[in-house]
Amino acid sequence: MSSASINAAGMNSVEPARVEKRRSWLASVVHHALGRWGTRLGIGWIALVAFCATFAPFLANSFPLLVRVDGRWSSPAVIHLTAVDFTLVIAAASLLVLIRLKKLPWAIRAWWFAGILGMTLPLTLFAVKPPLVSGYEEYRDLKHEGRVQWMLSAPVPYSPNDHLTDQFDFTHPQPWAPSRSHWFGTEQNGEDVLSVMIHACRIAMSIGFISTGIAVFIGIIVGGLMGYFAGIVDLLGMRLVEVFGAIPTIYLLLAFCAAFERNIYMVMAIIGLTGWTGDARFVRAEFLRLRGQDFVHAAIAAGLPLRSVLFRHLLPNALAPILVSASFGVAAAILSESVLSFLGLGLPVDAASWGRLLNQSVGQGGGFHLWLAMYPGLAIFLTVFSYNLIGEALRDALDPRLNPQ
Amino acid sequence: MSFFVGVKKAWARRPCHLLDGVVTVTEMMQTTSAPLPVETPLVRVRELRTWFPIKRGILSQTVGQVKAVDGVSFDVREGKTLGLVGESGCGKTTVGRTILRLIPRTTGTVEYRGKDFFAYQGESLRKLRRHMQIIFQDPVSSLNPRMTVGNIIGEPIQVHGIAKGGERDELVASLLQRVGLDPSFAARYPHEFSGGQRQRIGIARALSLSPDFIVCDEPVSALDVSIQSQILNLLDDLQQERKIAYLFIAHNLAVVEHFSDEVAVMYLGRIVEKASSKELYSNPKHPYTLSLLSAVPEPNPRPKKTRIVLKGEVPSPSNPPTGCAFHPRCPLTREMARGGDERDTVQITSGGEPVRVLRKCVDEFPALEQKQGEAGHVAACWVTT
Amino acid sequence: MTQKPLLQIRDLNVAFDTPRGQIRPVRDVSLDIFPGQIVALVGESGCGKSVTSLSILRLIPSPPGKVLSGKIMLDSRDLPALPEKEMRKVRGKEIAMIFQEPMTSLNPVYTIGDQIVEAVMLHQHVSTKQAYGIAEESLREVGIADPRRRLQEYPHQMSGGMRQRVVIAMALSCKPKLLIADEPTTALDVTIQAQILELLRKLQRETGMAILLITHDLGVVAENADVVAVMYASRVVEVATVEEIFDHPLHPYTQGLLRSVPRLGAAEGRLESISGAVPNPARFPSGCKFHPRCSLSRQAAASAPAEQTVEIKTVEETFRVLKICTTVEPDLREVQPGHWGACHLIENYEGSKVSLPVLNHRREVTANAVAAEREGAVVVEVLQGKEG
Ligand SMILES: Nc1ncnc2c1ncn2[C@@H]1O[C@H](COP(=O)(O)OP(=O)(O)OP(=O)(O)O)[C@@H](O)[C@H]1O
Ligand SMILES: Nc1ncnc2c1ncn2[C@@H]1O[C@H](COP(=O)(O)OP(=O)(O)OP(=O)(O)O)[C@@H](O)[C@H]1O
Ligand code: SF4
Ligand SMILES: [Mg+2]
Ligand SMILES: [Mg+2]
Repeated sequence: MSSASINAAGMNSVEPARVEKRRSWLASVVHHALGRWGTRLGIGWIALVAFCATFAPFLANSFPLLVRVDGRWSSPAVIHLTAVDFTLVIAAASLLVLIRLKKLPWAIRAWWFAGILGMTLPLTLFAVKPPLVSGYEEYRDLKHEGRVQWMLSAPVPYSPNDHLTDQFDFTHPQPWAPSRSHWFGTEQNGEDVLSVMIHACRIAMSIGFISTGIAVFIGIIVGGLMGYFAGIVDLLGMRLVEVFGAIPTIYLLLAFCAAFERNIYMVMAIIGLTGWTGDARFVRAEFLRLRGQDFVHAAIAAGLPLRSVLFRHLLPNALAPILVSASFGVAAAILSESVLSFLGLGLPVDAASWGRLLNQSVGQGGGFHLWLAMYPGLAIFLTVFSYNLIGEALRDALDPRLNPQ
Repeated sequence: MSFFVGVKKAWARRPCHLLDGVVTVTEMMQTTSAPLPVETPLVRVRELRTWFPIKRGILSQTVGQVKAVDGVSFDVREGKTLGLVGESGCGKTTVGRTILRLIPRTTGTVEYRGKDFFAYQGESLRKLRRHMQIIFQDPVSSLNPRMTVGNIIGEPIQVHGIAKGGERDELVASLLQRVGLDPSFAARYPHEFSGGQRQRIGIARALSLSPDFIVCDEPVSALDVSIQSQILNLLDDLQQERKIAYLFIAHNLAVVEHFSDEVAVMYLGRIVEKASSKELYSNPKHPYTLSLLSAVPEPNPRPKKTRIVLKGEVPSPSNPPTGCAFHPRCPLTREMARGGDERDTVQITSGGEPVRVLRKCVDEFPALEQKQGEAGHVAACWVTT
Repeated sequence: MTQKPLLQIRDLNVAFDTPRGQIRPVRDVSLDIFPGQIVALVGESGCGKSVTSLSILRLIPSPPGKVLSGKIMLDSRDLPALPEKEMRKVRGKEIAMIFQEPMTSLNPVYTIGDQIVEAVMLHQHVSTKQAYGIAEESLREVGIADPRRRLQEYPHQMSGGMRQRVVIAMALSCKPKLLIADEPTTALDVTIQAQILELLRKLQRETGMAILLITHDLGVVAENADVVAVMYASRVVEVATVEEIFDHPLHPYTQGLLRSVPRLGAAEGRLESISGAVPNPARFPSGCKFHPRCSLSRQAAASAPAEQTVEIKTVEETFRVLKICTTVEPDLREVQPGHWGACHLIENYEGSKVSLPVLNHRREVTANAVAAEREGAVVVEVLQGKEG
């Protein structure tokens, strides 16, 4: 008697013959997008930026990570950590652990992550009270005095706001060109460029994600309602989209920054509140297309509540173009912030930002400082380029004609 | 045949309590709806109209109406099948979806078990929907590509509080088995299945709420010939088993004849003839029915039947012909008008050619009326008796 | 029968490279079409009918498609070897094609007239004025009233049936020797389908061209074809005259197909069906591609010794079939004079020779359409029947 089922795989299309077929839709899209080396480079760069953003205080800090002064051990870097620093580190750690827990379903792990994040932020805000910064040169002075027995400093031993007041030098004014002790040089106030750039990763990441998040959220709600209900809702929604679409974001930003106190959250909110129209159009078009499809009718006929029809049946099918437009949106937001900062308007003067460094490349007394233009410029370019690469790869991976399911 | 042997075998493989679960659910459904008096149909449709506005311009003014369904009445009895046939665009799908309130109606009534279905709103409507389900033509677009088969079938079960958790999964498994699929495939996505298999999943989803009425909108038209009869047999078995009533929409007359107790023929949004399935095929009373019957190609190289090839084109439902909508293509009225005098006939252009037809057919709309033959055989034609 | 075939397809093999590996939509297909003959190619979705017809005209998208081997002889020219310039003359002029979708085979931004005239002037040396004359004439031939006005119209102004007629008119405007009709009526209603098929038959009788009719509707085949080739899983599995196929089908697939078609006026009761699903070309089963669905093999396995059978498990059921069906793919043999089949269990199959299916057969003309002038009378007769 021959062994069973030698040919069965051939006959029915659902035999577990192909591992590839078992992938969920999202996984297969990611797989296809990752197939390109361009995307991998893009993701690599973004990962580097994200790493710097998370661990900035450990990478660039005037306070040593571990030090022994007068025979007493201490960790000034940790003491000076802010609530945000703590949250980020805890979030990164829990993310790592959750990714490792392969047995749990994705959804549960996502909820866990959200829960941890939601718990940590208020807790740290309440509990962590870093001392007001007295002087960044404190430990350099101590070392000078020979009171330090052992010291482990961060790879870049300068905080972004450290103006190097102890190294003030008339004959050789700031900014300093790149050197052994300052690899990327310093800017006009004496801040170390590399340190500023590392800390600026936070703004670069958050401005992109938060403003795009706001935009996508509003876009999904408005576009979803327009697409699902069509008719008068659509008509009114479309006028709203047109009105918001006509607002020139950069002028609005300029106006607000000139009129109010500079604030990064305001910048994010403005970019988000004006940038949702594209997402809304995409979602609307998708919902309009999908609402006529049979599976939506089946869901309604089965008596499913509107919530389920909208968010379980329609939305996941409409996510594709949003994902693509969001990745381009992130790039655009980063660029907007850089432009603002370059014009000297965007963020508070002491906030670390790539655009602000660019702004200083043209010195007040004339003259052009190449390193102040080149390094931050390159970082902005690479980040924007990476997001565009990812967006493009996603778009292609989601295109059924290029990626037959 | 062997396929059903397979199903039975698979059925026997399952532990018994799962099947018990199905029965309990069915019973539960039955208790919620009291038995119907014999004379009340399960679904009664009266003078149903569904018009789609034609919009133009930036302000979307309504410049006309597509009268997709224009005064349709019929009854569907418990456990019986009403077939609905007609050409593409005559409004069959629109009838089916309007009855289920997936498309808003313009006027008319639909009664479910003697109660006005359009009177239900919100939560009570949502609850009532479980009794009336639909199976679609397109096996690709009718299943959510982002949900697993188990969720597609299981979500309605859960939402209506029929079963949760493990019990729900067992119910899904037994449903999958009933439609002839392996229960272990509940974790897969629709794109991993072939057309016929997807259609089975669609049927399982419709069954999941133990409905007593299902609109089958061309359930086999998109399938391969060799798959069609599998699905038709499955639907047939389910009807025997569960006393489900079907509104069976199709354009293939042979399928409809085989499947239905009663058949209604639609032309441009109206029913032009209705009779028991046998009567309609043996004794058609409307020239359109006759031409439909004669146009079906027979799988026989020496066909015996005579073919009547209609002239002219299918008119548009946004601008239907006056009087009897069939008059520009009707061979009967042309024949009767031959040699008739000026008072009774009128010259029209059809398909670019001048033809002479009966004045009555152009001027007045014929009502559905009883014709010679079986009781309940109605047709809308001025000429036939 | 010394007539030479118009088109000879010999051992055609076509492959597509897909991300999931190579698929073979056409394998060892041989087919002859004689002048004035209607050859029907039937089979299920995805069995390779369209790819076969496209490879005749060398229209397979490449990449991913390529013809691996095989000859396609038109008269005495081998089409796959012809230079592209020569091939362009063959397309449209000698072989014309009609596609399934009447909506997409016309360009929406040009008028009907422009499109027909362009086709005419490409192949015939005539002036624009003459070309318009020819276009008008060909529209009249396909039964479009007021052709002069219709020439000025755009495709969207016409109904599906009328568009399909325009496509036919365009295909016939250069008087091709062979017309490939790939599911010409699948998208149309039965009443319109009857019109179009009637028209094709009439034109075929008048011009004497040959037709390769691709369809999955056995009714259409029965009423129109002279010779039928049944395809399953990218191979031809049965070839015979139309009468033979419908009277004595030999291949279990053909038999099952014929049994499972619901017929008008047939007795009530269950339909027979072929179990299982149409195989996916990326994962064909081994041996005979039909074995997972074959009832003949199952029956034979029931009475065969266990070592000659194999168990098969599918999503739907578990059963046993003959081992030979799962190991050796049967080739097309002439099992009876003028009847070719590819199945181990056909009577005489073992003793028959492999040969090329060549059949110069014409069906008896059965005029089943009522002549136009009698039609009304017949309608009256049937409808008013009993009493007069
Ligand atoms: N949402 C809509 N808006 C406008 N017109 C519509 C809409 N849905 C359907 N129609 C029109 O209503 C008419 C009837 O359509 P319907 O889909 O009910 O026909 P059908 O009989 O199901 O045809 P088919 O056999 O092609 O499925 C058609 O002319 C169609 O164009
Ligand atoms: N461009 C292509 N790339 C990859 N595969 C293709 C391509 N065109 C066709 N195929 C595959 O070749 C096989 C045969 O296709 P073909 O179009 O000939 O089928 P068919 O018999 O005409 O079916 P239908 O009745 O659906 O038209 C199919 O499985 C199809 O998936
Ligand atoms: S009413 Fe007149 S036009 Fe209509 S079907 Fe009857 S005879 Fe024909
Ligand atoms: Mg329809
Ligand atoms: Mg095809």
